[in-house]
Formats: sequence, C-alpha cells, structure tokens
Amino acid sequence: MKISHSPAEPDRKSSALTVGDQAKVYAARMRLQNAVDQADALDAIREIAGNLIGTEEVAVFKVDKKRSELWLYWSFGVDPNKHSVLEVRREPKLKQVLKGKPVFRLKLSTESLLSTDDPVNALIPVLVDGCPCAVIVLFRLFPHKPRIEPVDKEICEVLSNCASRAVEPCHSR
Amino acid sequence: MAKKVLLVDDSTTTLMMEEMILKQRTNYECVTAKDGLDAISRAVVEAPDLVLMDVVMPRMNGFEACKRMRTESSLSKTPIILVTTRGEEEYVEAGFQSGCNDYITKPINSFELVTLLQSYLGE
Repeated sequence: MKISHSPAEPDRKSSALTVGDQAKVYAARMRLQNAVDQADALDAIREIAGNLIGTEEVAVFKVDKKRSELWLYWSFGVDPNKHSVLEVRREPKLKQVLKGKPVFRLKLSTESLLSTDDPVNALIPVLVDGCPCAVIVLFRLFPHKPRIEPVDKEICEVLSNCASRAVEPCHSR
Repeated sequence: MAKKVLLVDDSTTTLMMEEMILKQRTNYECVTAKDGLDAISRAVVEAPDLVLMDVVMPRMNGFEACKRMRTESSLSKTPIILVTTRGEEEYVEAGFQSGCNDYITKPINSFELVTLLQSYLGE
C-alpha cells in the first residue's frame, strides 16, 4: 500500500520551525541570564546578534540623564568614530524606542532607522526596572539574511528585558 | 543505537540552541566541543557519526580542524558540516577544500539543519 506523506509535510515543517524558534529564544535568555559579569553580558549581546539574529554589526548606546542624547558605550563590527553620539531630537525613531518598545525596519523599506550611512535594522531599548537606560542598535544584517523575522523580534524582546547587566553592572538579574 | 553528533562552537548560545533542536527533533545523541583543538580530541574519543562545526573559533578554526580530522584514519570518512556566517562562494570553496562535506549558514534555520543532518544520518 502506498502511503502519501505530502499532507503531513507542512505541519512537520511548521513544527520544526516552532521548535527552532523556541530554542533560539530560550538560548538567548539563558545566555544573558547566566552572564557572569558585565563583559560577559556584552559578549552575550554580540553572540546573540551574530549567531541567532544574523548581524555582526552591533552597538550599545547609553541614555544620558536628560534623555536628550545617547552615548556610544560599546560596539562590535562598526566604526565607533562614526557613531559616538545620537541626538534624540534628530532621530524620531529613538523617541519611540525610549518609550520602551523595540523598533524594527519594515520588511520592504529602504529607510534606515537612524540618520547614519549604515543601515539600521533594529533599535532595542535595554530596560532597567521598566525604564530604558540604553539602546542596542543592530546595523547591517548578513547578506543572506533578508530581513528581521518574527523570531528575531522575540529575541530582541529578550535582549530588551535581560541585557541590563551589560550596561548597569550592579543591576541584579 | 542512537547516532552521535559532535557539535563544535565557541558560542555557548549556539551550542545550547543546536542541542535543543536536535534533542527535540531527532534521536541523535549530542556531544560538544568549544574549539577546533577540543573538537579533534573529542572526535577521536567519541567517534561521532557526524561533526557540525563552526568556522570562526579561538585556538583552532573550523577549516584547520576539518583538515586535521581528515588525517585521522578514524575520522577520514565522518561527515563534517561547517557552520558559517558567510555564504560567499570563496568562503564555501575554502570549506570544501578543507575536507568538509557540506555547510550551513548562520543564523541556523532549524528545519534546514534537521533536514541536512538527516540526509547524512537518516531519521
């Protein structure tokens, strides 16, 4: 008797993707929560960006007390001299991010989220006690990675909620 | 008997993710190593059925580890899949010259990963 497997294929595929997505989100959370110190937490951000999301160009900016400027705190794969300060009044998307939610580049948009030459694909607030104290910027994605996917947004939520140790070393996890 | 896969990556995040995917989607047994040198010694001892190895690692990269594994008689025929952030032709060619059987790009797609491993190991 010939048994057709074709009806089961889409389910199987979607199930595999779900497990994979869950594994990525879980791995990101565990990596950040198990970071032993500030340097390790920053390394965790780099690892998550490169291995789970698909960019090797990432920077962390700290928000100043007046919330008018963001100062480059740490970066990987980008020229720090090009991105030392971001002025909130010149960057409309930053105003949104400072309300506490990540902002992503739209699927078909060619617009960058910041007024820099380098394409920005995501702005992620780092929350400490619910308030953004820093912003993680994800720049250019790998050439074979066309866009930010739904699972990447989940991972960015994890970064937003679990990466405080990278910028506030004394903050408890 | 369960097929054994050696996962090699200096990123604990990647190892955790790969291990979770394979444990949930397959019956393969996973062992891990954190760089190329570690991978060679683990591979000699564990005799894995397949090696899934990152390219950029400290101490010894994936290309070099792959070349050295091919000189070990017990590993000369073991399928080796390299994991790379770059899909460019030159980079892939370098991987094949080092003796790998296949490659997969980061960020890893779980469906692609499981399908690729099953093509070598069966379900």
